[in-house]
Amino acid sequence: MTKKVIVNFTVNGDHETREAEVGQTLLRFIREELHLTGTKEGCEIGECGACTVLLEGKPVNSCLVLAVELEGKELVTIEGLSKNGELDKLQQAFIDKFAFQCGYCTPGMIMAAKALLDRNPNPTDQDINVALSGNLCRCGAYQEIREAIKASAIK
Amino acid sequence: MPTETDIITGDRKTDRGFQTPEVWAKITGKAIYGIDLKLPGMLYGKILRSPHPHARIMGVDLEQARRMPGVRAALAGDELSCKPFGMVYKDELPLAIDRVRYIGDEVAAVAAIDEKIALKALEAINVDYELLPAVFDTEEAMAPGAPQLHDQHPGNLAWQRELTRGNPEAAFKTADLVVEGSFSVPQVHAAYLEPICCVADYDPYGGLTLHTAVQSPDIVRELVADVLDLPVSKVRIIGPVMGGGFGGRVYGNLKVYIISSLLAIRCGRPVRMQLTRQEEFIAGRPMIAAKIRAKLALNQDGTILARAVDLITDNGAYSAQAPWVSKTLSERNDSVYRIPNIRTTVRLVCTNKVPTGQYRAYGNQVGNFAMESLLDMAAKKLGLDPLELRLKNCVKKGEVTVHGLRINSCALSDCLQAAADEIGWHKRKPGRGYGISAAIHAGGSLVFDKNMRGASAYARLEYDGRVTLFSGEQDYGQGTHATFILIAARALGIEPDQIIIYSRDTLTSPFSIGALAMRQTTIGGKAIQLAAEKLREKIAQTAAEMLGEPVVMEGGRVRSATGKTLELSEIAADYRFQTSGLSITGEGKYVPSESAYDDTGYGNIAVAYSFAAHTAEVEVDRETGEVKIIRIVAAHDSGRILNLISARGQVYGGVTQGLGYSCQEGYLFDGGRVLNDSLADYRIPTALDVPDIMPIFIEQDDPEGPFGAKGLGEIVMVPVLGAVANAVADALGIRVTDLPITAERVYQAIVEWECEQ
Repeated sequence: MTKKVIVNFTVNGDHETREAEVGQTLLRFIREELHLTGTKEGCEIGECGACTVLLEGKPVNSCLVLAVELEGKELVTIEGLSKNGELDKLQQAFIDKFAFQCGYCTPGMIMAAKALLDRNPNPTDQDINVALSGNLCRCGAYQEIREAIKASAIK
Repeated sequence: MPTETDIITGDRKTDRGFQTPEVWAKITGKAIYGIDLKLPGMLYGKILRSPHPHARIMGVDLEQARRMPGVRAALAGDELSCKPFGMVYKDELPLAIDRVRYIGDEVAAVAAIDEKIALKALEAINVDYELLPAVFDTEEAMAPGAPQLHDQHPGNLAWQRELTRGNPEAAFKTADLVVEGSFSVPQVHAAYLEPICCVADYDPYGGLTLHTAVQSPDIVRELVADVLDLPVSKVRIIGPVMGGGFGGRVYGNLKVYIISSLLAIRCGRPVRMQLTRQEEFIAGRPMIAAKIRAKLALNQDGTILARAVDLITDNGAYSAQAPWVSKTLSERNDSVYRIPNIRTTVRLVCTNKVPTGQYRAYGNQVGNFAMESLLDMAAKKLGLDPLELRLKNCVKKGEVTVHGLRINSCALSDCLQAAADEIGWHKRKPGRGYGISAAIHAGGSLVFDKNMRGASAYARLEYDGRVTLFSGEQDYGQGTHATFILIAARALGIEPDQIIIYSRDTLTSPFSIGALAMRQTTIGGKAIQLAAEKLREKIAQTAAEMLGEPVVMEGGRVRSATGKTLELSEIAADYRFQTSGLSITGEGKYVPSESAYDDTGYGNIAVAYSFAAHTAEVEVDRETGEVKIIRIVAAHDSGRILNLISARGQVYGGVTQGLGYSCQEGYLFDGGRVLNDSLADYRIPTALDVPDIMPIFIEQDDPEGPFGAKGLGEIVMVPVLGAVANAVADALGIRVTDLPITAERVYQAIVEWECEQ
């Protein structure tokens, strides 16, 4: 049997105590145990950024973090951004600027952008490009993504 | 005063920016993609793949795997009785029987209660292989004595074509100038971010249901039914949200759908099968690789007289659509310019490498790279401006091209001029390179099915007065459905937010060829328009009967000559009572009047043709070979733009993918093994790689398309390759003829040039 460990953490503001398999990635834990499927899987080896979440406010590829590392930490996923049906201003800016097409990279992209704006409220194009360079968008919406992040920063 | 030609730049403020409410689900993480689906009792399927490029299967021992706790089924090819399948040739089986032909060929499959057990079970399968000599190079594969892949393709020739139009021999003899070049382009993967995933569910009463997102559900449905010997009506495909397609998911990976179905039928439980990213690269269906030898004959004044192309395309182990892609690659860009004489030779060659499929633009972009490179080589020798050379030869409205394409609307020369003006063609900055390239692309070509030219749709008035559209055309973010809603809103005279569209279930959607061949807006949109107009007519008819006098429908309600009004909900309710529950529906069928081609491929293969010209501005570091793309201007004639926000998105995305094709992407092989089988090693463009992209739309109404519109989704990536190659050549004075134009390639080209001096 796979060994399990109890972990205490907060997810999108809620306190949780769960069992996590030793060796299970945070990505699998989020999707399969917490049933938060907004966090996407694109490669499972840290190359595409689709699984980006905020751990202690920092963007991480959740496929490269173990679920047991959650102990005592604060996790925010895409589902934690909108409150009471109201979109975060970054989410609204992504819609206004049509900053996505298929939408698959979007949750990870928004979490990475959120982290950027938290530490740099007024980013330049180059700041944005560097901050998002680990988040692939095959639909090629980078120009609109830059526009959305800047529009959101101004508001 | 509005002029006849209305130029929209990417910066113009516009109200034409409609999005469907699906964006809300995507932005909040609530959208359900294929990989998010779970069904009660669901098992996890995995595929055992060949580690050898070419081998005979002497035996597959599944016993140990079958005995493992948690394993519910293990399958090998010899115990299945499936028919061979394939789009063009019946050259594939769900699981190999006697032979494997590439590293990644499907040999056995398992279903288990979880993924880990399924993976362990694969390790427990023993396959006895007898290795066979393999061939990886197309030229070697054609040589006498080469290992043979398929009995049906002697000499490893999967397809060939010899085509002559006019008198190319005479033209090459009498021309003032003949330029020649050899070009190569590697396999390129569509690299949609969501790996292919399918949940197959079967019961003998209801039949087989596949929960999977594909661009052409109806095509997949018929193929799967045929392979599994099920009645088509017993196969249903329900599409979740799709994480990118770009042509790579036209029918996705048929093996995944068929193998998960076989496991589901065997186990009597739903089976989920998802490819890993590595499987996507080694056993997905990348775009074919090509070697192109081409020459162009011109007169001193720049008039193009003839073109000859000798094309060799790398089929890989199985064909899928490779013959059709090779055909488009070899000939489509012949119709960009007036070229009276053509000679084309195509050889599609089997090798023990990854089988191929298609990618956005179906090879047209690869042809563009070669043709537009040649044009600049000619311009240089003739001392002509590359822009002037193109303007002199480009096709115009009213012409019939060398392959019989009938050009009923065309703003190509305006596109060339606009793209050149915007990039500063005549105000060049020192130290920079500038390139230009032009393209044509068929909006809904008939290559898929000669008999299925058009599209159909239904529009239904709901009891609450809102309208639901039923279409088989797929939207995975391009904006097709938003555009369809705008078309229907215009035809019905109601607000777009009163309309929803449903397309993702083969049980309820009308049959469609699907999201390919740039057909959806032009053809599918036209069907929507006709369905909405029919609905409007029937609403008016019902209302006229209710009121006993003639009516008009306007502003979302009906008004009679004497001023009586009826809400749409009242009309729907009345109709429901009159008919014991029916809704008023409008049926739209669009059958293009004359689209056909003869045995040589000559004819008007599509209802409308879109045009584009792109310009590129680049900087090249002569020390390192690094190419920096400064700016791309993309001028497009896609007729009337119906939804500017999604049209711009298509341009940004298509140009970005074109830049990847030009400078970054391409399979690397060691023999038959794919070396760059991850997103770290196969580098698609990131935010850091994408420059300023400037879309320009030259709007002229097409006489056939819905409200004057033509297709856009594929042509957006076509001219990028030629424009970038020409800009790099302009900056360096040295031409790189092999894609991708990486720093290493540029550096080598500089070193070789210096050695020659």
